[in-house]
Parts: sequence; C-alpha cells; structure tokens
Amino acid sequence: MLGIALIGFAGFAALCLAMEKHFSDLLGCKPRPQQVRLLRVAGWLLLMLSLVLSVHLRGWGHGLVEWIAVLMAGVTLWVFVLPYQPRLLLGLAAASLVLGPLLAVLAG
Amino acid sequence: MKEGFRQAMAWLHTWTGLIFGWLLFAIFLTGTLSYFKEEINHWSQPEVRRHALDPVNSLGLAQRYLEANAAHAGSWMIRLPNAREAALSVSWRDPEAGRRGFVSKSLDAQTGQPVEARDSRGGEFFYRFHFQLEMPYPFGRWLSTFCAFIMLVGLVTGIITHKKIFKEFFTFRPGKGQRSWLDGHNAIGVLVLPFHLMISYSSLVLFMYMVMPAGILASYSGNTGDYFNELFGRDDPPKAANVATPLVPLPTLYAKVQEQVPGARIGYIQLHNPGDSNAQVTFTQASADNIAYKRSAKWTFDGTNGALLSQGAPESGAMATAFSFAGLHMGNFAGPWLRWLYFVFGVAGTAVIGTGLVMWLGKRQLKHAKSEHMPSELRLVEVLNIASMSGLLLAVAGFFWANRLVPVALEGRADWEVNAFFLAWLLSLVHAVLRPGRRAWGEQLALGALAFALLPLVNGLTTGQGLDHSLQVGDWAMAGFDLTALAVGLFLAWAASKMLRAPKPVAKRASRAAKKPTADVVEVG
Repeated sequence: MLGIALIGFAGFAALCLAMEKHFSDLLGCKPRPQQVRLLRVAGWLLLMLSLVLSVHLRGWGHGLVEWIAVLMAGVTLWVFVLPYQPRLLLGLAAASLVLGPLLAVLAG
Repeated sequence: MKEGFRQAMAWLHTWTGLIFGWLLFAIFLTGTLSYFKEEINHWSQPEVRRHALDPVNSLGLAQRYLEANAAHAGSWMIRLPNAREAALSVSWRDPEAGRRGFVSKSLDAQTGQPVEARDSRGGEFFYRFHFQLEMPYPFGRWLSTFCAFIMLVGLVTGIITHKKIFKEFFTFRPGKGQRSWLDGHNAIGVLVLPFHLMISYSSLVLFMYMVMPAGILASYSGNTGDYFNELFGRDDPPKAANVATPLVPLPTLYAKVQEQVPGARIGYIQLHNPGDSNAQVTFTQASADNIAYKRSAKWTFDGTNGALLSQGAPESGAMATAFSFAGLHMGNFAGPWLRWLYFVFGVAGTAVIGTGLVMWLGKRQLKHAKSEHMPSELRLVEVLNIASMSGLLLAVAGFFWANRLVPVALEGRADWEVNAFFLAWLLSLVHAVLRPGRRAWGEQLALGALAFALLPLVNGLTTGQGLDHSLQVGDWAMAGFDLTALAVGLFLAWAASKMLRAPKPVAKRASRAAKKPTADVVEVG
C-alpha cells in the first residue's frame, strides 16, 4: 500500500505544479503551456494508476477505501508542509515517482 | 440571486457552526479516541496480560470456566481475544439475580483464570460519550444525531460558501493571522472531505431508526424490536427442555466454522441453554474481517451433537449499503496503519470544527480591537471556546490520571474516573471565566501539555509498565498510548508557547483584508 500511497502523492504533486501560481512559487520560473499540460496529464494518470493498482491488489472494497485514505493523507501532508519545507517535498515527490512503482511491483 | 444564495449558505454555516460547534468538537474528539477503544482499554486495565492468539485453546478454557462457574445460567457469551483485545471475556446471565444479573469476567487467555483488573470504563467511556453524551437514553442519542446532521449541513454549506475550492485546493499560507486560519479550515475541510462526509452521513445511517422511524413503525406495527430481530437475523432463543445433556466441545464447532470460511476470525460466541438438550451455539465472525457488518457471517449449531442448524441470512442490496456505511464509520476492519489514518482524519475533523470556532470569534474581535472591553456576547463565546477545546483536553487527561491514581480497591472507582473527567472540564470552565482570553488559553494548554507529557511517567511509576517495559516486550498498544500522550503533550506545549507569547502584529494586515472582504472570500458571518 505504501507504493500506491507514493504514486498518489506524486500525482497530487504534479497536479499542484500544474497550477501556474504554485509552479512559479516552487520552481522560481513561469511554466510553459506544454509543461502545464504535461504536468496535468501526468498527475491525473498517476492518480488513476494508483487507483487501478489499489483495486487490483486489494480488491474493490478494501482497495477503494485504502486508496482514498492514503490519497487524503498524502495531499494533506503536501499542502501543510509545503509552506515550510518546499524543497524537501519536491524531493520526496520525485523520489515517490521512482519508489512508488517499484514498491507496487514488489507487492504485486 | 446567486450571490444571495451563497450569502444565505454562509449565514447558515456560520451560525449552526457556532451553536453546535462546541458539542461537535467534543463528539469528534471522543469519537476519534474511540478508534483506539481497545488500545485505551488495554492501557486502562494493565492487569490483563497479552498472549499469543490461540482461539482453539481459548475456547476450551472458556468452556471449562463457564461449566465450572455458570452451569446454572440460561445463556453464556464468550468473546475471544484478538489482535487488539488481550482478554478472553466470558459473561452469563445469573437466573437468581433477576433481570440485571449479568456477570462478566475477563480471563487470562493462557491460564483461563479470572483476572482481577481494576474497575474502569476505559475507551468504552469515550466511545459511549461520543454518541450518548452521558445523557439518559434516548436524549443523548437524539442530540448527537442532530449534531451529525448539523455537521453534514456545515459541510455542504461550507462547500457552497467556499468559492475557490479548486483554485485554492493546494493553498495554505501560514503566519498571516485570520487568513491562515481560514486557509487551514478550508484546506483540512476540503482535503479530508471524503472522510468528513462519510462520518457525518453514516452517523445518520447508524441512527436511521431514530431519524426516520415512520417506515419501521408502520411496517412492524410499532414493534421496533421485531425490526431489529429481522435486520440482524436474530431468532428467539429456544426454550430449555430441562433434560441435562453434555455440551459439545466448542473447539470442534470452531473447526466446523473454519471449514465453512477458512481463516475466519471469530468475534463472539453465544450459547443458549448450555448443558440442556436444547442447547444452541452461535458463532459470529469478527467485525474486523469485513468492511461492512455482515449478518450472514453467523453460524448456529445444535449444542448437543454439533450439527449446523442455520447460517445467517444474506443481506439485501439496501442492507449491504447501510451496513457498509456503518462499517466505514466504525472502522473495525482497519489494520494498524489504516487505523492510524482514521485517527488522523478524526483529528482533522476536530480541527475543522475548532478552527471554525476560533475564526468566528477572531473575526468579530477585530472589530472591537480598539475598544477596552469586549462585548459580553463575544466574551461568552470566548469562554465557551476555551472550555470546550482546551478544557476538554484537560478533561481527557484528568480521566487518564484518575485511572492511574485512584486506588484500585476503591469502591466505584470507575465512576471516579468519569467524575475526574467532568470535574476537570468544569474547573477549566471556571478558569476560563476568571482569566483573560489569551492567558486562559495559554495556561490551560500549558497545563494540558504537562498532564499529557507526564502520563507515560505516571504509568511507569504506578504499574511498572512504562515505555521501558512496553517497548522491550513489544506491547505496542501500551507503548503507542504512552508515545501518543507524549506527542500530544509536545504539541500542546508548542501551542501554549504561542499563546503565552505576546501576540504578533498581524492586526494591520488583517484590517487591510477586512476592508476588501468580497475580493477574496465570501464573508462568512
């Protein structure tokens, strides 16, 4: 489930960066339109991927419940730590992108 | 028209939030604690020792104990130990003691001997409080159900009021006074919204029979007992034949259940007429095994020959939906990490209510920032805010301190724990009345910090099961309680230090925000 949580976390991070205000706050430059589109698509795909994996690994009942739970926890962590430790969170999101699928594959 | 609607919703959000916020805060906080009901029970009764789970052996022990001590009773109940409950609980109805003659014993899961644990309501107190509010039946349930409805109203009106739900989805700006409180309130509300909606809606489902009784009353000719019997698939117990017949060994029946559902964990076992030729034994699967409550996960055996008589009736679609909401609300299915998330989301729900109450006052205080005296109605809200939030935390701490300090042999000591809870709450109200707002906050939070941070120490000194012991033997429920108390203490110390320090000069920024109210947010209130 940790893998799924990390994938979802990375998904929300991408969706957050897909907003111009957050992108320029966090990365210090204005995003190009393609970047915004790419981030938005990637974010949604990651969320979908985590859902599919969760249902696949844990079944519909537990899969849905646990998916919503880890997503809520991840995005809450992101939003409330962001003003204090933006670099740490960006690093964590990047690491999740690698670690998440890896853990999910190992769990499957 | 659209703006008018939004304003109306904002008004509703503001005022129902204020009137019911104090009670909702208490309901959410104690409800959150209830996710660790069994763990709190374990901490409250440290005399009950934890052993490796062995259901077959436990069943044999329970049967032996009951046959030796309750052979004359008309019915028995056995609760097997599980990952969260250490004790093997047996209870029976004593026919000589009349209607209230219900005897319960906690047995050691390894020896089968009764454990003389201290008399305490433990986590059960917080669990009961969160929907009965220590009021006589049915008033507490009515009030808490109404609060659940208000919470649902608060969520819906909050969403309507909050214009930029997607634009500010990821927004939290700390250190900006009222602005930060609103950001925090909105962010916790929105990000954890699925949980908030599930909790408040499922509360209404749980008490559906109270909220919308007409259908039940009409279909069952006013006899709600029949409704519940049919809903939960309960049959009338068989009459005793008064022919002594030995009871089949319970472990053999356990094996038969395992044949039906391999790996099923058993919650409790109910026996009617044990030792009689009309004996009947019902095994019910543990609620930890399924998300939804399942009336079908139940097997009834003939107690003399062990034949399977019946299995619980399957659920209809509507029933399965309602039972799923009930199961999601109570979270019995959750393993350790999901249980912690439940706890965190419960804290988040409590925080949404708390930040709302703080904002209601903060906003109105700004208008009177220049005058010497606060209007008395604002002072009233301030006092109630303090007593209902930091005061409740002190009350919870008071309960746990009483659990460790009230002598074990004292008659009615469980009631004294509850008295300590309410006494601490009352004293915090008196304190809030006597002290100026910010000082009162700071002092109560500081006292709460001490009370929680010292709990592990008190535990270690009074029971010898402090962190040094529990971490060593791997008693995670005990250690988790102590560590959580420590963390709460640290958090309260941080909050107290913010309150006791002179307020930061945010008034300027806030007043500028107040001048252009509609630009950022719809005025809540």
